[in-house]
Parts: sequence; C-alpha cells; structure tokens
Amino acid sequence: MTALFESWGLPYDWAWFVSTMIGILVIALPLMLAVAMIIYADRKIWAAMALRRGPNVVGPWGLLQSFADGAKVFLQETIIPAAANKGLFLIAPIITFTVALIVWAVIPFAPGVVLADINIGLLYVLAASSIGVYGVIIAGWASNSKYPFYSALRAAAQMVSYEVSIGFVLISVVLWTGSFNMSAIVEGQRAHIFGFINGYGFNPLLFPMAVVFLISAMAETARTPFDLTEAESELVAGYQTEYSSMSFALYWLGEYANVILMCGLNAILFWGGWLPPVDWAPLYMVPGIIWFFAKLLFFFFVFSWVKATVPRYRYDQLMRLGWKVFLPLSLFWVFLVSGWLMLTRYGV
Amino acid sequence: MIGLQHYLVVSAILFVMGVFGIFLNRKNVIIILMAIELILLSVNINLVAFSAYLGDLVGQVFAMFVLTVAAGEAAIGLAILVIYFRGRGTIAVDDINRMKG
Amino acid sequence: MIQTIAFYLFAALVVASGTLTILARNPVHSVLWLILAFFNAAGLMILVGAEFIAMLLVIVYVGAVAVLFLFVVMMLDIDFAELRAGFAQYLPFGILLVLVLAAEMIFAIGAWKAGGIDMGSRIAPTPSEVPNIEAIGTLIYTRYLYIFEGAGLILLVALVGAIVLTHRTRGGVKAQNVTAQNMRRPEDAIRNVKPAVGQGVEL
Repeated sequence: MTALFESWGLPYDWAWFVSTMIGILVIALPLMLAVAMIIYADRKIWAAMALRRGPNVVGPWGLLQSFADGAKVFLQETIIPAAANKGLFLIAPIITFTVALIVWAVIPFAPGVVLADINIGLLYVLAASSIGVYGVIIAGWASNSKYPFYSALRAAAQMVSYEVSIGFVLISVVLWTGSFNMSAIVEGQRAHIFGFINGYGFNPLLFPMAVVFLISAMAETARTPFDLTEAESELVAGYQTEYSSMSFALYWLGEYANVILMCGLNAILFWGGWLPPVDWAPLYMVPGIIWFFAKLLFFFFVFSWVKATVPRYRYDQLMRLGWKVFLPLSLFWVFLVSGWLMLTRYGV
Repeated sequence: MIGLQHYLVVSAILFVMGVFGIFLNRKNVIIILMAIELILLSVNINLVAFSAYLGDLVGQVFAMFVLTVAAGEAAIGLAILVIYFRGRGTIAVDDINRMKG
Repeated sequence: MIQTIAFYLFAALVVASGTLTILARNPVHSVLWLILAFFNAAGLMILVGAEFIAMLLVIVYVGAVAVLFLFVVMMLDIDFAELRAGFAQYLPFGILLVLVLAAEMIFAIGAWKAGGIDMGSRIAPTPSEVPNIEAIGTLIYTRYLYIFEGAGLILLVALVGAIVLTHRTRGGVKAQNVTAQNMRRPEDAIRNVKPAVGQGVEL
C-alpha cells in the first residue's frame, strides 16, 4: 500500500505513515466490533449451555446488547479511589488494552494480508504478551486495596508460569517450520500430512502441543477454568474491583481481544491459518480470510464451551498444572521434535 | 543522520545514570540492583550499536550473553535480598556488614 | 527522516526513564521506569537492525526480570523513606563523579570520532542476505556453542541457587498428593454395609 501512496506523489515517509495508519485502523476498528459481537456470542453460548436465553432484549435477538453495555459504561463517571495511585491507576487499563491490540500487527489474515510481515513475528507475540502482565500488576498495586492486590499477584504468577510453557510450545512449532515468520508458519503447514492435510495439529507428534497450547491459552487469558484472578467468590472482581466506567470497559475489551487473539494463534500455529483443512483445489475457492475466521470462531466456541462446563481450578492445582505438568511435557517435546527433525530432515 | 556517536552518547548517559543511581541510593539494595541493570543495558546498547556499525555480529551475540548474566544476577540478587529481609526485617546496605559467619 | 524522529524519541525516552529510575521516590515507580527504559532501549536496537536482541530484551527483562523486581518490591514491607535518608548527603559527590565520568566518556567518543584505532578484522561479518535472527543462530550454534552452553549453565545455577536460597518448608501445610488421589480405588474407599433396622453403622 505504501507504493500506492508513493505513486500519488507523496514522499516515502509520508506514504509509509499514511498507509500504516490506514492499516492499523482497518484492523483495530473491526476488531473492536468483533469484540462486541464475541462478547454477545460468549454470553449466548454460555446461556444456551445452561438452558437459559441469554441477552435477548436490546435489538433483534439481543444483538445490540454489547453496544448498550458499552454506552452505559461510557456514560458512567470514572471513580478513582482516594487512596489510589492516580496516574498508575489510569495507565493500567490502557496498557492492557494497547497490548491486546498491538499483537494483531503480525497476525496474517490471508496470504499477504498482514500489517507487519516481520521475520520475528512469533517473538514479537511473546514479547507483547509479556508486557500484558503489567496492566494487571499495576492495576492491583495502584488500587491500594486488598483484593485487587491479591488478584494481581495471582494473575502475574499465573501469566508468567503459563508463558513459559507457551514459549516451549511455540519453539516446537518454530523448529518444525524453521522460521519465526507467521506467514511462513502457515505456509509450512500446506499439505503437511500425507501430502494433502493442512495443519500441524494433525501431526501426531505436534498434536499434544496443540492441546497444551489450547489449555495454556485459556490460562494465559484467565478464562474460566483458570479465572482465579477474578474469582468472585474469593476476590470480589479481582484486579478490576476498584475500576468503573471506561477504565473498566478497557479491561473488558482488552481481555476479549486477547481471547480472540489466542484463538487466532491457535488457528495459525496448529490448524493451518488461512489454509483450508485439506489441500484440495475447490476448497481454495473460499477466500483464506474466511477459513481463518472459521477456525478462530471454532476455537472461540471451544473456549466458551469450556467456560460453561468446567469448574474453576484451585490455585495450587493451577500452579501444579503449569509447572509440574505442562513445563516438563513441553520441554520434553522440544527435545522430541528436534530429535525427530534431526533424524528425518537434517540427517544425524 | 544518526551515526554511531549518537548511540554511544545515549549509552554513555545511561551508564552514568546507573553509576549515579548507585551513589544516590546507597542504602537501598533494590535500587542498586536496578542501577546495575541500567548499566548492563547501556553496555548492551553499546555492543549492539558497534555490532551494527562494524557489520560484525559478534557484538549481538555477546549482548545476548550479557543479557543472560544480567538475568541470573537479578534472580540471585533478589533471592539473597528476600532471605536477608526475612532474617533482618530491613534491606539497608549498611547492615549487611553484620552478616558474618 | 522517520528514522531520525524514531531515534530521538527512543533516545530521549530511554534517558529520561533511566534518570527517573534512580530518582523516583517510590521503588515501584522506579521499577516501572526501568521497564520503560528497557522497552525504549529495545526500540533503539530495532533501529539498527538487531531485532532478535531487541525482542530478547523485552521478553527477558520486561517479561521476567522486571516482574521479579516488582514482586519483591511489592511483597516486602520495607520502610523506603528511611532508606532514602542519605539521598541529599550523597548528592554533591555523586554529581561530581557523574560529571567526571560523563566528560571522560564524551571525550573518548570525540577522540574516537577523530579517527579510530585500527582494530583488526571482523570476526563474523554480518551476512546481508539472511535475516538477523538466522545469522545469530548460526553463529551461536557453531562458533560460540561452548559459550552458549556456558550461558545456559549460568542460568541453571541461578535457577537452582534462587530456589535453594528462598525455599523454606513450612509445617502444617496440607498439600495435595495427586498420585495418591489417582491411585485410590473404590474398593479402598467404599464399604457396602446392610445394617438391620434400628441399628446404626459403625465407621
């Protein structure tokens, strides 16, 4: 797109600036809309599994529920507790929200449709998600209140623990592809099994890692079986307890943007991203972006399904799962995958 | 145009700030540890800048090793700090000389 | 143009946040400024094309080391006002030392600019066609393999050391024994009894 603006007579810097800005808007605005709809979908799925109706009042089938919630939150007053550390208190939700948005820069939606096709895409994702912890820690500390602080410590420990196993899972995928570039990872999955099935997830050697990644993604985004950070029976609302109005809404948006992102990463890393499930020409008639979003939405459904059915973990069980099960497993799998690749691809 | 000197000046200022931090906060071990991290960061900037300028990758490799050592140093330093605080209830540097035998 | 703006932005922010790291009254603020400094330093490194080190800096420092610092600062109940007592006292000497140090360094940089000392040939010239991360990977796993493994060993020692130092076994904790739970069979836990009417069950 930069070339297009350059052909209109803009100097390179400005062409780059304008095209990047347009790219950011084209990703971020639909993402916000998607978050609104995905919150609605989440509530509907959850309700259906509990044999309830879910939101059904605002708009047809309650479709506008999220927008009504947004308007309500937007019109509320932002309350800053007297004892809070004002600046940090306000910055914390902004960090969470920003981090949830910036990762989308490297997500490929379709062949070539990616804002920044950098060769270290996956490292960028890891780096950005490691900043995400701060939104939570700072919120808990700046609130100057007991429950948010407990929750922040829990959340930080949880996110850091599961990031380790996510890192190892990513390493095994990267080993197989031989690249950190997200588009290259998707392309590497073309005709992966028997020459016609697309996706690392169908590889028996990588499937366990796909499962580990799915569960770790739930823990990383603090979705329900692992939502101890905002367990309402123990911690009121966790680190969000003192938040109201827009600052609360930013957490909400950031959290769901993260959930969608994790679903998208699942689709890209293990299930072939924009590629159809099988390498069969008629399936390529469907645009890649539709395959990508179909996979993303399927994983979101899995997330909602788990949220509706699995009871919450206890904190020591959560830590045990992360450190004593997933970490050794994924570490061992890195050895296994690299050994297998040495045997089959590179020669001993 | 940005040259190597610009990078060197930034890293020199950062290094000096790290040293300054150790001097100013002589009692507070945590801030001293952070100042050391700043110094190591400035070293890393230097290594990377020279590596880019000379077209020699070794600088970046060594920046990675500096990073490793800095991470280990922070972990051990903070662990010592925590057990020291458990025993004494303070982290003032002046009291650490009592840690004999 | 855009590189110049980016450089000055990152440089100004890294210097400012580095300064605030050591001057902030509250150590939690100090840690947060330190994080900002690391973040902007990563930006500076990206500008010269060292993207791998930049990402590593963010992942290792911002993602792990700074979290450690934050945890320690937040968890320990330290009287920080008392620790700042000597602040003003050390200020003049500190400033003097800093000025000398800075003058020396800038002198050195200026002298170097006037014509560097001949330093011999490059050890590992940057290859132009492969990405930064690939080139570094090749270098680490060939020429610097032993140093790399040594770095891993250092990390292992730090890991074990930190755990050994801070670990304490507390009595009276009911820990879950997952294996014991899973090994337990219904026969061990359930007993079918058929008491007569009016008779209780002895457990």
